[in-house]
Amino acid sequence: MPEQPYEPERAMAGTGMGGQMDLAASEATSLEKTPAGPEGTGPEGTGAEDKARSLWSDAWRDLRRNPVFLVSSLVICFLVVISLWPSLIASGNPLACDLAKAQEGSQPGHPFGFNGQGCDVYTRTVHGARTSVTVGVCATLGVALLGSVLGGLAGFFGGAWDGFLSRITDVFFAIPVVLGGLVLLSVVTGNSLWPVVGFMVLLGWPQISRIARGAVITAKHNDYVLAARALGASPSRLLLRHIAPNAVAPVIVVATIALGTYIALEATLSYLGVGLKPPSVSWGIDISAASPYVRNAPHALLWPSGALAVTVLAFIMLGDAVRDALDPKLR
Amino acid sequence: MLLDVRDLHVEFHTREGVAKAVNGVNYRVDAGETLAVLGESGSGKSVTAQAVMGILDMPPGRITRGQVLFEGRDLLKLKEDERRRVRGAEMAMIFQDALSSLNPVLTVGDQLAEMFTVHRGMSRKDARARAVELMDRVRIPAAGQRVKQYPHQFSGGMRQRIMIAMAMALEPKLIIADEPTTALDVTVQAQVMDLLAELQREYRMGLILITHDLGVVADVADRIAVMYAGRIVETAPVHDLYKAPAHPYTRGLLDSVPRLDHKGRELYAIKGLPPSLLHIPSGCPFHPRCPMVRDVCRTDVPPLYEVTGAPAGRGSACHFWRECLHG
Amino acid sequence: MGRYVVRRLLQMIPVFVGATLLIFLMVHVMGDPIAGLCGERECDPATAARLRGEFGLDQPVWRQYLTYMGNVLTGDFGTAFNGQPVTELMGTAFPVTIRLTLVAIVLEIVIGITLGVVTGLRRGRPVDTSVLLLTLVVISVPTFVTGLLIQLLLGVTWGWIKPSVSAEAPLGELIVPGLVLASVSLAYVTRLTRTSLAENRRSDYVRTAIAKGLPRRRVVTRHLLRNSLIPVVTFIGTDIGALMGGAIVTERIFNIHGVGYQLYQGILRQNTQTVVGFVTVLVLVFLVANLLVDLLYAVLDPRIRYA
Repeated sequence: MPEQPYEPERAMAGTGMGGQMDLAASEATSLEKTPAGPEGTGPEGTGAEDKARSLWSDAWRDLRRNPVFLVSSLVICFLVVISLWPSLIASGNPLACDLAKAQEGSQPGHPFGFNGQGCDVYTRTVHGARTSVTVGVCATLGVALLGSVLGGLAGFFGGAWDGFLSRITDVFFAIPVVLGGLVLLSVVTGNSLWPVVGFMVLLGWPQISRIARGAVITAKHNDYVLAARALGASPSRLLLRHIAPNAVAPVIVVATIALGTYIALEATLSYLGVGLKPPSVSWGIDISAASPYVRNAPHALLWPSGALAVTVLAFIMLGDAVRDALDPKLR
Repeated sequence: MLLDVRDLHVEFHTREGVAKAVNGVNYRVDAGETLAVLGESGSGKSVTAQAVMGILDMPPGRITRGQVLFEGRDLLKLKEDERRRVRGAEMAMIFQDALSSLNPVLTVGDQLAEMFTVHRGMSRKDARARAVELMDRVRIPAAGQRVKQYPHQFSGGMRQRIMIAMAMALEPKLIIADEPTTALDVTVQAQVMDLLAELQREYRMGLILITHDLGVVADVADRIAVMYAGRIVETAPVHDLYKAPAHPYTRGLLDSVPRLDHKGRELYAIKGLPPSLLHIPSGCPFHPRCPMVRDVCRTDVPPLYEVTGAPAGRGSACHFWRECLHG
Repeated sequence: MGRYVVRRLLQMIPVFVGATLLIFLMVHVMGDPIAGLCGERECDPATAARLRGEFGLDQPVWRQYLTYMGNVLTGDFGTAFNGQPVTELMGTAFPVTIRLTLVAIVLEIVIGITLGVVTGLRRGRPVDTSVLLLTLVVISVPTFVTGLLIQLLLGVTWGWIKPSVSAEAPLGELIVPGLVLASVSLAYVTRLTRTSLAENRRSDYVRTAIAKGLPRRRVVTRHLLRNSLIPVVTFIGTDIGALMGGAIVTERIFNIHGVGYQLYQGILRQNTQTVVGFVTVLVLVFLVANLLVDLLYAVLDPRIRYA
C-alpha cells in the first residue's frame, strides 16, 4: 500500500476516512497477496441500473438527515458564493494597504485588524477564498477526469496497459508531493493559478487512477456484469452502462476529500514561497507573510489560518459523510 | 436437572424500534440429554442460546425477564467474573462457521491451549500437550504437527472438529451447538455430527443442538423444541413429534421436507413469511400463516398446553392441538 | 518468500529509475545548475561554458542522467552549491531528520494507538466523540498552520520551548517539532485503530473468545488487538518514507537543519546535484520501507502468503 508522502493527501491515500476504500482498492491491485479464505462472492444485484439507482437514492436519503453533511454543504455553498462575489460581504480592496496601520488590532470597520503590511485582514481573508476554491475545484476536476479515465481503462482492459500504468503510478507515489511542487513551481516566474493547478493534476492523478482501477475491477467481477457479458453486451456498453455507474461512487468520495487537501496543498506551497506570490491574494501567502510578526500581530495569522482550516474541514467532512452514505456495509 | 430456562425474554433496541427476539422461552436439559431447538432464522433460537451462554451483545440486546438456572444457580444473577468462569469450563458453545469463529492469526494449538492456561492455570507446555491430545481425540490426523498450523490451513470439517475440541477441552456439563454442520459439505456433516454425539455419550454432557435441519435432528436428538417468533410452539420427544405433530407449524415444517415416496407431487410450503420481530402478530404469532386459523387465534395468545395422552413433558402452544394431533 | 523478495526488488528498479528520472527532468527544467556556482555574481560566459563542459551539461539530458546515476552508484552524489560534496551534506542532514522522524513515529505509535484503542472500546461515548472531532480538526489544519500555532503558543506566548531548534538538534528539542510532523498521521492512526477495533469487535472469533470464558483483558489484548493492529502497523510503516519527505515544512518552521532544510536551500540556489541527490535517497527510503511493510504484513497475518 504505497503512500503519497504529503500529509493532508493521506485523506485520500491513507486510512480511516478515504482509507477503507483505498485499502480495498490496493488489495485488488498489484500486491501479490492471496488471502487463503474463501473468495468473497461480491454483492448480488439484479441489474446494474437498478442497483446504481437505489444506491444513490438510498445515499441521498441518508445524507439529507445527516447533520455533518448539512453543515459542511452549507459552509461550502457559502464559500462558493463569496469566492464568486467577495464584495457581497467585503466591499474593500484587498490590495489597499496602509503601512501606518500595520499590525493594528480590531477596530470599527476592520473587525480582524490589519496585517504586517497594513492591509485589512478581513477583506483579504474573504477575497482569499476565491484562490483556494478555484485551485481546489479545478485541480480536483482535472485529477478526477484524468485519473478515472486512465485508471478505469486499466482496470477494464487489464493486461500490458494495466501493468504499465501501475508502474507509472508507483513512480508518482514515490515522489514526495511538497518536494515535487517546490522543484517544479520554483521555475514558474509568472503569478498565475494555472501552473499550480497543472502541477496538482500532474502529481495527483495516480491517486484517483488507483481508486478507479480498483473499483472497476470490483464491479467487473459482479455477477450482473458477468451476466451482461454472457448475454453479449459490447465492451463499451458494459463499461458505460454497467460498470461505470457502480465504480463512480468511490471516485467521487475520494475526490471530495482530495479537494480539501488540494486547498491545503496550495496554501502550503504558497507558504513555502512557490506557487502564488504577492500581489495575489491567498490564505497561504497571508499566513506566510504574517508568521514573522506573529509575536505582535497574531490575529493576522489566525484569521486566514482559521478560514483555511474550516474550508479544508468542510470538504473532508463532506467526503466522509458521502462515503458513509454510499458504503452500505457501514449502515 | 442441568439447565432450566424459565420465561426468558430478550429484546434488541434498533433504529427501527424494539425487536422482541425471545418472548418467554422455557426449556430444560438433563445431563446426557440432547435437546434439539428447531426453527427458522429469526425464530430466536440462537439468541436464546447466546443469552444462556452470556455472550449476548448488550447493548443492543437486553434480557428483560426470566431465569437461566444452571444446576440450580440463576446465571443471570451472577457477577460477570463468576459468569466468565462458568463459560468455557462448565458450558461451552460450538458455532456455525468455524473459519470465522477461530482467530485467524493464532495457531489452533494456541487457541486450544488457552482454555487450560486461563481456566486451569496450567503451564504453557502442559497446555500445549493437552491441545495435541484434544486434537487426537477429535481424530485430526498428525495432530502433533498440525497443532502449529493456523485455522485457514485446515479443511472445513477439520476446523469444525477443532471447534468441538475447544468446546470439549474442560469437559463441560453442557454444550450448545449452534448449527454446527450447516456450513459443511453433506458428506462431512454426518462425520462431525457422529463425533459430537459420540463425545456427548462418553462424557454424559447435556447438548443443545440448534438447527433448522430436520434430518439431523431425527438421528441424534432425544427431545425437540420448535421455536417460532421467539416462543416455543411445540416440545416433544423426537419420535412422537415426527409421528404426530401437535402444532400446525411443526406439521408444516415436516410436510415441507422433500420425501422420496412423494416423488412427483408438488412440495408443500408454509404460506407467507416469518413475522418481523418488530411487529409480532397479535394472538398466536403463527395465525397469519396457519391453515387451521380461527377467530380466537387472532386475539388470544395460546399458552404452552400440556399434551395429554402422550409421554410426559409434551406441550403445544396451539389452541387446537387436539385437532392438529389427530387431524 | 525469498523469491518474492527478489521479484519485489526487481520491480523496484523501474520505479526507482522512473522516479529519479522524473525528478531529474523536473530539476533540469528548474533552471541553470551553474547559476549558483559563481557566488552572488553572474558567471561570465567563458567560465560558464567551462563549467558546463566540466559538469557535462552540454550533453543531452538522458546522457546526463546516465552519468549522474553511474556516479551515484559509486557513491558520488556530486557537489553542493558551497563546494561541499553532497554526501557530506547528507551526513549532517540525514541524522537530524531521522531523529525527527523517529520522534514522530514513536508519538504516532504511543499516542495514536492509545487514543484509537480508548475510543474504539468506547464507541459513542463522550470520549469517543470528542477525540474523533479532534482528529478531524487536526487533519483539516495544514501542518504548517499547526506548526506555526504551536510555535506561537509554546515557544512565544508561554515560553515552554525554544521557538527554533539549535544546530545539533538534540532529541529533547525535537519532541514538539516531531509532534507537529506526526500530527496528521497521528490523527489517522487514531481513526484507523478505532475503525479496525470496532470492526473486529463484532467478529465471530471475538465472540468465540468471550464464549471460552477468557477474561476481558485477555479478549482485548490477545484476540482483538492482535488482529486490529495489523492495518495500523502497516500504515505506520509506509508512513516512515512519507514523514521524511514531508519534514520539509516542519524543518522550515522550527529552523531544523535536516533534509528538508538542505533541499530547500538546494532549490533556492538551483543546485541540481543537491536536490536530485537528496530526493534519490528519499525515494529509496520510501521504496524500501514499502517492501519491509509488505513483508511485515506476511509476518503479522499468517493468511497472507507471498508466492
